[in-house]
Amino acid sequence: MTLSENFKSGDFPIQLLIRMSPPWVFIDELRRFTESFCACACPGQDREAQVALAVHELMQNAVPHAHGEEVELMLEVSRERDVVAIRVSNRCSDEDYQALRERIERMNGEPDALAHYVQMMRENPASTRGGLGLARVRFEAQLEISVRREAGRVIVEACGPLRAPRLPAVGGIHG
Amino acid sequence: MANPSFASRMPAIQVAEEKYSAHLGLDPHGIRIHFRGTISTANPATVLNPFVDSVHEHVLETSAKEVRVDLTQLEFCNSSGFKSFIHWIERIQQAPEPKRYRLRFVSTKERKWQRTSLLALSCYGVNIVAIDGAP
Repeated sequence: MTLSENFKSGDFPIQLLIRMSPPWVFIDELRRFTESFCACACPGQDREAQVALAVHELMQNAVPHAHGEEVELMLEVSRERDVVAIRVSNRCSDEDYQALRERIERMNGEPDALAHYVQMMRENPASTRGGLGLARVRFEAQLEISVRREAGRVIVEACGPLRAPRLPAVGGIHG
Repeated sequence: MANPSFASRMPAIQVAEEKYSAHLGLDPHGIRIHFRGTISTANPATVLNPFVDSVHEHVLETSAKEVRVDLTQLEFCNSSGFKSFIHWIERIQQAPEPKRYRLRFVSTKERKWQRTSLLALSCYGVNIVAIDGAP
């Protein structure tokens, strides 16, 4: 089977690796690029906007903590295994890592992603920066988030099914 | 049709940054807030919250019962910018019951993030947030 035939049959993972030195302004371009990349890599799955949103939020979290050093983004999609995975890594302090780990543990302790997201909206004053991004990724992008530390770097991974169920229309008044 | 005399009294409430802008306008349904561009700066609330506060004061003065929030030209809004909509909901919740009004978000299916973000926002602003478009 040729590479082209393999690709069409979808039986091998497609990977994207980007190593970027901040600044912040490139995050918009990364989001647009990953949305296009995902649309090409997994056509018909309607997952590209959610993946792009997750990339944006995870990179936005990473850049301020990288202290001007590189941030690495890895995106992998596998149609055969029905998986999409985003990994963002950067150098960070022990304090930053511990704080992030505690936030993610607390989030994952709440089985209802939407309930946690709404709780974060209540807890994080609108006048302050941050506090919503991870909850947004978990609920809106339907990705489970984990964190680990290797060789002085923090690695945040968001992983979920490529064929995610459509979120139901919940709450509010839909006119 | 919008009342021309009302339109002429409408204050110029607007905000513009390098990548996004927002302004208060008037359409046949009443007050309409237009957002355009990409809200992705580190702390957009410093710019957007005062804008939201100005709009909120204007809506209270006019006793409007609904405001249309047009996101159809908004390419993206990061979670920090999203908090300005949360701030807006909180301002409405803090208003006396008779003065409260509804935020009717007008979205587009071309921006797929809007559907899920507005679903979440509607759960936070129950009885305040309504959603048009992007089924």
